[in-house]
Amino acid sequence: MNRLPLHHDLYVLAHDQAGRPLIHQSSLALGLAGAALLDRLPAGSDPPPEARSLIKQVAANAVYERTRRGLLDTGVLVGVRGRRMGMLPYTRYELADIASAVRASSGVRSAVEGWKPADARSAGLCGLVAVLRLEAELYLDEPAARLVSRLRQIAATAGPPIGGLVAIVETLIAEAAVAVYR
Amino acid sequence: MRTQQNIEQFGYRQELRRGVGLTDLVFYGLALMLPIAPFAIFGTVYQASGGMPALAYLVGMVALLFTAASYAQMVKAFPLSGSVYNYAGRGIAPPVGFLTGWMVLLDYILVPCLLYLVASVAMNDSVPAVPVWAWLVGFVIVNTLINLFGIRMTVRLTRLMIVFELVVLALFLAAGVWALLQGKGNGFSLSPLFDAGAFSWPVVFAAVSVAVLSFLGFDGISMLVEESTGGSAQVGRAMRLALVLAGVLFIVQVWVAALLVPDPAGLMERAGDTAFYDAAAVAGGEWLRHVTSFATALSWGLANTMVAQVAVSRLLYAMARDRQLPSFLAKVSVKHSVPANAIVLICLLSMGVGVWMSTRDDGVTLLTSLINMGAMVAFIVLHVSVVVHYSLRSRSRRWWAHLVSPLAGAGILVFVVVNANVLAQALGLVWLGLGALALVTLYALGRPPALTGMAGPGPDRP
Repeated sequence: MNRLPLHHDLYVLAHDQAGRPLIHQSSLALGLAGAALLDRLPAGSDPPPEARSLIKQVAANAVYERTRRGLLDTGVLVGVRGRRMGMLPYTRYELADIASAVRASSGVRSAVEGWKPADARSAGLCGLVAVLRLEAELYLDEPAARLVSRLRQIAATAGPPIGGLVAIVETLIAEAAVAVYR
Repeated sequence: MRTQQNIEQFGYRQELRRGVGLTDLVFYGLALMLPIAPFAIFGTVYQASGGMPALAYLVGMVALLFTAASYAQMVKAFPLSGSVYNYAGRGIAPPVGFLTGWMVLLDYILVPCLLYLVASVAMNDSVPAVPVWAWLVGFVIVNTLINLFGIRMTVRLTRLMIVFELVVLALFLAAGVWALLQGKGNGFSLSPLFDAGAFSWPVVFAAVSVAVLSFLGFDGISMLVEESTGGSAQVGRAMRLALVLAGVLFIVQVWVAALLVPDPAGLMERAGDTAFYDAAAVAGGEWLRHVTSFATALSWGLANTMVAQVAVSRLLYAMARDRQLPSFLAKVSVKHSVPANAIVLICLLSMGVGVWMSTRDDGVTLLTSLINMGAMVAFIVLHVSVVVHYSLRSRSRRWWAHLVSPLAGAGILVFVVVNANVLAQALGLVWLGLGALALVTLYALGRPPALTGMAGPGPDRP
């Protein structure tokens, strides 16, 4: 099974079936940028000192649109055109196959349920799902608070650079929420 | 460089974010200050200054130019953190930072409340059938919804608001000068700037303690230091420019208004919250009264509260993240990207305090004095942190910038605080006492204040 890049998985998790984003664009962009960086960093290394500015920069440089384009190119998403009230044209980006949503979260779900130990990739996604509050998209029968703390714990025990990078993303999300202009 | 390669591997070119330039920094400062800010407190300043509001604004501008100079120094020293709370904590010591943050909190928490109250008073002047408290509740609800939905001021909206306010101001000035030339009002004189019969320093400083409200907000420019294209030097320049621009506009408008006051002796005895609109009515008739009061309501009640809300949430967030305030204030809604808890807290506070103050005759004056008290104490500490950080710790030899100027600035502000409204002084002291109590509690809980910084690098969350 070919795995998608981490930020592609996160994009899939962060949208509903109709292709609508479940969280605010500025939060999501920071999560996607963090995921993209996580994919590039070798396991066991600490996040580079410039990680913070790097994530901000990537998030500001249309990471959302680029991720969507990547998913369209690989055929995971398809553009659906329509008209609102028969007038206003729009394009929605839906999943071509609902199975990719299941696939995107499979690593996280098995890590939480303890079927198999989380690899670095799933642990990173666990952390990002927790800070982006996407835990409901895992469809696990557990109270949200307990699930989030379990996800955080998996990310925290996974070793560098995951814990550090997830913390940076969380800080940046909070700072974006109190930013003057965005 | 590895970073460079990394970015290019992502498929991104290394582009700097579209930054905020000097003009927009100045505009942002003006949006926080409001070019028409004196409209709302004109009556109080006129009364406190013994009929010399222009002098009060002139002295206020000079005092705050020193503050801006000290800001510029601290922004240079700590370019990533943007408030007096951080500068005092880093420049002097964390407990001082906590108490300063506590004093600024008095200013920041009450600002939205005052904005709502002033806007409601202005609307009540236009539509007296609806009581002030009802307008206030309406403004609070509308604004809280706007904030919770994550609607923010944009650079373009800020510019539009400034242009709108400047147009209203130009209308008033044109009508006012025309009316004076026609012989209406009290005729041209220098008395709003200097009146030998009424002049005394305590009177001037007491008036400055009120007038300084109109300038508050220029310090908010420091929040944009990360976005500024010219870095900290540009922020310092923008602060000075915004202050001088606003100062000149303030002096001119209160001068013209003071010459048009319909009943100077009456206003001297009893300050009215609608004195400026009365003067506008003398200048241009009833339509100008409505234009000026409506402009005040719109800019205070809607535009400025959006900006003020962001400022207070930032401070609450920074202090809560340093575990100096309850941690729920550091939580944000990821879904809407807004500091939801801070917004709701400010909504409840503004509603409660605002309705209470709307029942008091001196509501606007009292809130103004309290806000100014918090801000001026914080500014005094800012001056002290420049001296401590540069002259004492770093043994700087730039005597003017790092010793004389901050000490002069602090000296003027001390005079202003000493001559301020007695009730405000008492309440300010009570607030400071509560802060000291909170500080002792933090020590007792084994969590002495420590700063992580608004934008410190690396993983700094527990």
